[in-house]
Amino acid sequence: MELTTKFLYQSNYWYNDGLQRATVRDMTGAVASLRRSLKYNRDNIMARNLLGLVYYGYGEVGSALTQWIISKNLKPAENAANYYIKMIQESPNELDNCRQAIHKYNQCLTYCRQNGEDLAVIQLKKVIAAHPAFLRAYQLLALLYLQDEQYTNARQVLRKAHRLDNTNPITLGYMFEMNQVRKKSPVKLKEPKPQTVSYNVGNETIIQPANADSKEKARIFTLLNLVIGIVIGVAVIWFLVIPAISQSKAFETNEDIITYTDEITAQGAEISALKQELENYRSASDQTEDAQDTAKSTQSSYELLLDVQEQYNSNSVSNADMADSLKQINGDSLGEKGQAAYNSLTEAIYPTVLKKNYTNGKSSYEAADYQTAITYFTGITEMQADYEDGTALLYLANSYALSGDTDKAGEVYAQILQLVPGTDAATKAQQGIDGNTPEIGNTEE
Amino acid sequence: MLNYEEELKKFKPSLEVADIEEAVREEELTDLRDILEEMLRHTT
Repeated sequence: MELTTKFLYQSNYWYNDGLQRATVRDMTGAVASLRRSLKYNRDNIMARNLLGLVYYGYGEVGSALTQWIISKNLKPAENAANYYIKMIQESPNELDNCRQAIHKYNQCLTYCRQNGEDLAVIQLKKVIAAHPAFLRAYQLLALLYLQDEQYTNARQVLRKAHRLDNTNPITLGYMFEMNQVRKKSPVKLKEPKPQTVSYNVGNETIIQPANADSKEKARIFTLLNLVIGIVIGVAVIWFLVIPAISQSKAFETNEDIITYTDEITAQGAEISALKQELENYRSASDQTEDAQDTAKSTQSSYELLLDVQEQYNSNSVSNADMADSLKQINGDSLGEKGQAAYNSLTEAIYPTVLKKNYTNGKSSYEAADYQTAITYFTGITEMQADYEDGTALLYLANSYALSGDTDKAGEVYAQILQLVPGTDAATKAQQGIDGNTPEIGNTEE
Repeated sequence: MLNYEEELKKFKPSLEVADIEEAVREEELTDLRDILEEMLRHTT
């Protein structure tokens, strides 16, 4: 086998050894093995990358980067060092923290050499906080604590250092020193307590077991602890559990109220909607009834109109009866032709009937037969309300007044004032309203 | 007991990031093959 091949084998052997040591945090041993591997073959990239990683593992970022940069120069492509360098570059804050921590550590070394240990301790605490994997800082801080005989602090710091590198000779040396100090420190032995208590009563010496009193005390303490426990338990229930239950109940009640309120509101809205619907139905029903009434009225009006027309043509019925039939016709319900026929008939029939009834009514009025007069004049005013410029109405009103129906008389007087204002009948109607039944002799034809 | 002064001497400054370039240059890269080649060169 060639010597160079042997070198390669040796290099790989030490690389494997270094890897094994690094796996169990034997960093010092790993560094030694990997350095040896590189002595056999400087181009062992894996060994060099692992060496950088081990340095990085105990806080030596500068040394780690040095190895990775060399590795990258030796093998620019397909090299894990590229990844490591890239990861560090991508977290500039972390790199800056490490850089500052290393710089402060170096300052601390200077402080220590210039008797500035106190300042160094403060600074090293900050260094460790900023860069927790920095083994050297832990070791220096441990040394300062040991020097100051702060063994508890030193032990804590050394434990952390030991976790970072469990075979570092400095760490192990300080731990050994700690153990030596502990062994040398005197251990105080507890004096045995007297088993008995003796005291004199008169001439007699009474010897009593010492633990009798302590047993009694233990009982009292047990009882006291029990009482305190109960009190604390009650207090916890009273102040924490009960308010929580009350709050929960109140919350549930509020939820129920909100639910019921919502239901009531919804039902109210439903009732309102149903009422509105009912009103609509009623209104529609009324409208239907009105329409039916109108239709009936129209139908009967046309039927009456046809009858009267037939009677008029045949001359078989008296004018008075035809006038009565015409009065029952609702002229507004008729169409254009029906209205024309209706007007034609009323113009032909009414004047004769009006004149006759007017004469008969006046005769009855003058004969003080006011009820008959009321019948005639009512018939007249139904056919033509302002007949004889309201005189027919005046007779009707007077007939009511003289027959004792003053309320009805007052209504008719008021109708006259409204229907034919400014006429003689209106003047006399005013007299009637004032309580003086007017005379109608001057209005006769 | 520890000798503080002696122990302190064991602590060396840590390599600062700013000094990496110089550290790369000064890194000992000679391996056994280089030494062997050097020896062979001298013997011939």
